[in-house]
Amino acid sequence: MEFLNFLIILWAAWLVWRRPEREGRAFALLVVSCLLMALLFLVGTHTSFVPGVNL
Amino acid sequence: MGASPHRLRDALAGLVLVLTAVPVGGALALAALHGDSPCILCWAQRTSMVLIALTGLFVLRYGPKPRYLGMAVLLGAWGTFMSLRHWALHMARDVGQGFAAPILGVHTYTWSWFIHWVVLLAIGVLLLLLRRADAEEWPSEPGPAGRVAMPFFLVLVAVNALQAFATTGPPPFLGQGDPLRFSPDPRRWVWSMGELSGGFSLRGSWTIPQPDASDVDPDPTRGPLVELPVLAVAGEERVAAPLVGALSGLAHDPASGRVLAVTEGHGVYLLDPGLHRVVHRVRVDPGFSIDLTPFAGAAFLGDSLAVLSTNKSYVLLVPDDEADPDREWRHFRETDGGVRELGRGRFATVRARQMFVLSLAYDPSADELITVSVPSPRHRLLVVSRFARSDLKLSSEFEPRLGPGLELAGEGRGLGDYVVTGATVADGFLYAMSAAYSTLLVIDLEEREVKAAYAVPGLERPVGLAARGSELLVAQADGRIAVLDRPASGSD
Repeated sequence: MEFLNFLIILWAAWLVWRRPEREGRAFALLVVSCLLMALLFLVGTHTSFVPGVNL
Repeated sequence: MGASPHRLRDALAGLVLVLTAVPVGGALALAALHGDSPCILCWAQRTSMVLIALTGLFVLRYGPKPRYLGMAVLLGAWGTFMSLRHWALHMARDVGQGFAAPILGVHTYTWSWFIHWVVLLAIGVLLLLLRRADAEEWPSEPGPAGRVAMPFFLVLVAVNALQAFATTGPPPFLGQGDPLRFSPDPRRWVWSMGELSGGFSLRGSWTIPQPDASDVDPDPTRGPLVELPVLAVAGEERVAAPLVGALSGLAHDPASGRVLAVTEGHGVYLLDPGLHRVVHRVRVDPGFSIDLTPFAGAAFLGDSLAVLSTNKSYVLLVPDDEADPDREWRHFRETDGGVRELGRGRFATVRARQMFVLSLAYDPSADELITVSVPSPRHRLLVVSRFARSDLKLSSEFEPRLGPGLELAGEGRGLGDYVVTGATVADGFLYAMSAAYSTLLVIDLEEREVKAAYAVPGLERPVGLAARGSELLVAQADGRIAVLDRPASGSD
């Protein structure tokens, strides 16, 4: 899934660089990538969302 | 305060280049040179830095629109959280221990925290320097630095994608908790979905409820050990002196005959041998510097007194008729003026970590304090922890094994089913009274073995245990003291 996320980022960066008129689509890709990144982190911390130390 | 949009744009392009080249490019260099392979959490942190750089490209191209700056703040805040969460896995380990390669002595998950923190600072500075008109006057072209930053970013992300493909695989495979060393050889690649298994939790193994021995099953016949001999209550006494709060621990001083009683309300009472009169009393302040959960145990250490909270934090006291009331004000909520605090601290355990205790004992021959863990829904273990009195640090820990003649009731049963609420040492044996299944365990401290166990019917919420000569005193929460004839050894 990390591979997929980098492809999304590549797509968004390409639009910003070479197709700047597609700002909305590029930003949508940025948002999707952020959500996927956050989701993958939550999957990785499924045993304890907050740090495993005294709070 | 302000800077021209062109200067801000060029500075931002420089930041994007640095952010892309140093942490993200550096991670790729670690993979190429050292085989460093990110775990699933590292991947998310690295992706967050890439996304912040991408947001910078948005600003370069489209100007400092609120949604881009807002996105950068969100990513910086989320990245800071991710880094702290990841760092927390390793921050309490011993010196030199960590995960993956350190840079300048600091591991990458910690650098990630620093970078996200700097990103938040940089956004703050950018906002400070921005003028109201900058968004309208922002250059339509990214400038020379921006023209370098954009393709550079694309190349770095493409290489990251290749590494991600090799180490995490195509969807639906995802990153791993413990990745293998990175290799460009496809035969060494491992793709996994193992992180998807298991349940989700907010606190994980730290979800430990405070111990409560008031609702345990007192029936010895349903305990984990079968066919136990019965040890009958030989007599009953009562703490006649007035106590504030339910009794929660008891100790007996063989030299003076005095009794030390503690209550759940952080009361400490030094009683006369007849249990009728309070010789000294204090109510300890449970807050400030070291948190004290309800008191669970007490012990005489010669002339001084030790009291222990359920969270293994302790207070050392000494009777002193000349105690300075002004100095002791900070330690006590109430005092009769005849007690001085020597200090307080926390016992650190290894096997009994994340477990509460409900008892404290003192072994004079070894000069050690002893605690016995109580089970929780996450940890069903009975761990005996011993602490040297000299430095109050852990000396040894063990899970006692069962001695000859003792038999478990079946699969899944164990000593961890007991809830030890009182403990005392006599003649080299640790006597541990369990409120669950009203059972007295006799543990040989040398052999680390349960030598004997006795059913003690008729007790009502035992909370403490003390040795008085050939007797055992079982304190109950309502102030009654059951007197038992102490088994001289585990074999009889």
